Amino acid sequence: MSSDYEYSDEEDFYDDDEDMASAGDDDSAPSDDDMDMDSFADDFKVPQHPPRKSYEIEHEPLSQQAVERLMTTDVDHISGIFGVNESTAALLLRYMNWNKERLIEKYMDNASSVSVAAGVSTPSRASPSVSGPAPIRSSGTRRRTIRQTPVPKAEPSVCPICFDDSQTSFLALSCDHSFCISCWAAYITSKIREEGEHAVRCMAEGCALVAPDPFVVSTLANSGEDEDGRTRERFQELLVRHFVSANPHLKYCPYPSCTYTVSCPSASSRSSLTTMVPTVSCGASHKFCFGCHIDSDHRPVVCPIAKMWLKKCRDDSETANWIKSNTKECSKCQSTIEKNGGCNHMTCKKCKHEFCWVCMGPWSEHGTAWYSCNRYDEKGGVDARDAQSKSRASLERYLHYYNRWANHEQSAKLSVELYNKTEKKMEEMQITSSLTWIEVQFMKRAVEEAERCRATLKWTYAMAFYLDRGNEKELFEDNQRDLEKAVEDLSELLESPIDPETISTLRQKVTDKTVYVAKRNEILLKDTSDGFAEERWKWNIAVEGFD
Amino acid sequence: MDARLRRVNKEIADCKNDKSSNIKIELVDASPFHLKGSFPGPQDTPYEGGHFEVDIVIPDSYPFQPVKMKFITKVYHPNISSASGAICLDILKDAWSPVLTLKSTLISLQSLLCSPEPNDPQDAEVAKHYTTSKRSFDETARYWTQIYAGGPAVKKMEVKEPQKDEIAIAGLEKAHVDQFEGLGFERSKVIDVLRRLNYRGANVANIAEDRIVEELLK
Ligand SMILES: [Zn+2]
Ligand SMILES: [Zn+2]
Ligand SMILES: [Zn+2]
Ligand SMILES: [Zn+2]
Ligand SMILES: [Zn+2]
Ligand SMILES: [Zn+2]
Repeated sequence: MSSDYEYSDEEDFYDDDEDMASAGDDDSAPSDDDMDMDSFADDFKVPQHPPRKSYEIEHEPLSQQAVERLMTTDVDHISGIFGVNESTAALLLRYMNWNKERLIEKYMDNASSVSVAAGVSTPSRASPSVSGPAPIRSSGTRRRTIRQTPVPKAEPSVCPICFDDSQTSFLALSCDHSFCISCWAAYITSKIREEGEHAVRCMAEGCALVAPDPFVVSTLANSGEDEDGRTRERFQELLVRHFVSANPHLKYCPYPSCTYTVSCPSASSRSSLTTMVPTVSCGASHKFCFGCHIDSDHRPVVCPIAKMWLKKCRDDSETANWIKSNTKECSKCQSTIEKNGGCNHMTCKKCKHEFCWVCMGPWSEHGTAWYSCNRYDEKGGVDARDAQSKSRASLERYLHYYNRWANHEQSAKLSVELYNKTEKKMEEMQITSSLTWIEVQFMKRAVEEAERCRATLKWTYAMAFYLDRGNEKELFEDNQRDLEKAVEDLSELLESPIDPETISTLRQKVTDKTVYVAKRNEILLKDTSDGFAEERWKWNIAVEGFD
Repeated sequence: MDARLRRVNKEIADCKNDKSSNIKIELVDASPFHLKGSFPGPQDTPYEGGHFEVDIVIPDSYPFQPVKMKFITKVYHPNISSASGAICLDILKDAWSPVLTLKSTLISLQSLLCSPEPNDPQDAEVAKHYTTSKRSFDETARYWTQIYAGGPAVKKMEVKEPQKDEIAIAGLEKAHVDQFEGLGFERSKVIDVLRRLNYRGANVANIAEDRIVEELLK
């Protein structure tokens, strides 16, 4: 009985879809032209995209206005067929979760019961269409089911809600339950702002009529209750969100206060989520996943794996917490060392011992082919004889992957901090030397690329944790290692001291490394994505959607 | 004047002036937005003779958002939490209308005592008791009315010690509790387990003693 006014952001998108379908609907998968998506897409083509890569999914960001136009198309369609005005058509559509076919079927079957259930008319006033289907396009007779705008009423006596005898302006829906305009406006505001509710019912007890949009809008405007227009704005957004959540081809951008919607028809079925990662970006360049609720790019892993991993991290956070800490002790002199850059090559300030931040092993042992640090030594599982050492071994295995996952997350953050510091330094140098703005840019590009690759690397550890042992896993880890090595090299370069004499050499090195890193990232993303499409990856655990 | 304050003041005054009504609304402290309501238990129910007090909090957007109410007096009822006094009633949630008043809401609570809704329970254990054995439920509800709401003494209980009888409060039979206490389990633990398993009335036959012992050993 709890009132849950959150929209699809919080709930499982596909479960919603199933609920809709199971509500006695035989037509669970609306076709593309159901939403007039194709004809619509032409109108809103975004100028020009760079060519789409094989692991990228086709999608289209839509502004709020664009979604409103989609809604209007549906509303006009229904309004034309039923011969009712637009706001009535809108209430009927919202009641039926924007399922036009189902609405038409039900309405033809029994127009008055649908109208009553949708809050369009009161039981007694509903058109008496007891026998036979509702007349089609009989405009006129049916047009006045509900009043469009607030009707000024003769003052009844005193408003039964506020008892304020100075109130002179009274309004009612077609049920004639009359209240003063201040109460109406306060009520509408409270419903919209506090409850996030777009269907505002009549204030009378037990009256199920819903205020049509023009009533809501004009009451807010005429009462002076919504001077900054924010309630009206929120109302509009709630309507759009409702439409978007009812349509599996659409998803609202999860970023706070962003009002973009993304259309991605090819990711709208659950089965597609085992073969690709539907990373999309909205019109404001926010990247998120169309297939799940992770509000960032989780490539290269598919949604079911990403979700499983995050859940595991949440469940095991207690034990894993210590690793996340930003400080460690030098393995030689035990003095505390704080990590302050993105690079894993650490040098103890006190004893000058060089070691790897991830495995704490001496840096010298990593040698030139140093990055053997990404692969968990699976043979450790052999000496797991009793249950206790087994569980210790499985925790250790998890920590191996988690450690590297968390490290990339942290390094990505630190690289940004490092860049900010570097940028400041470069700005200073622009004043004291002959460097120009353009010469700072290679740093910016490099940091951005490193950040992007660390995001990929981060998720590769979630993938490797669940990948079954064998050739395919080894190939995957080879790609992972190559990318990791390239990124660490780049990060190390980014930490080199900058001075006007060496900057041109540094720039050349950084630029070359950035290109190389981008290429490695590309290779990993493409190969992993191809693997999903070819069903090449095998898991060491049952994964939702895979057999 | 603030619209909410005007409305609440009027409601309090109206309630005071209505001599025929048995619903009372009083201030708790200086604030008109934290009140205490009370009413007698309805006749021909296990709550008859009791005096029930309700905590009332008026939210900022009252009357456009529903008033918050919960029982201060402990009540044995499927739709009222026996621990917190929280109430499961539609008009306190989705079905609220700004036309409803504190008084009309308290009247609805009074009639909720007359007609429990065990299918939409607030307290699952009490609801289970209600559906498995209405007679045994009524007995417990009457006993709670007596000891918590100042209701008349229940005949069957009169013979027992005057202080609160935990076994009767839990709606259990003394013989059942004695039986398991005799096996060496702590009395309070026995009461807790039997209450949770709904070891009452006809349901006793459905629960194997092994199952109870198993629970007691946990
Ligand atoms: Zn009013
Ligand atoms: Zn009405
Ligand atoms: Zn966005
Ligand atoms: Zn996803
Ligand atoms: Zn050291
Ligand atoms: Zn290492």
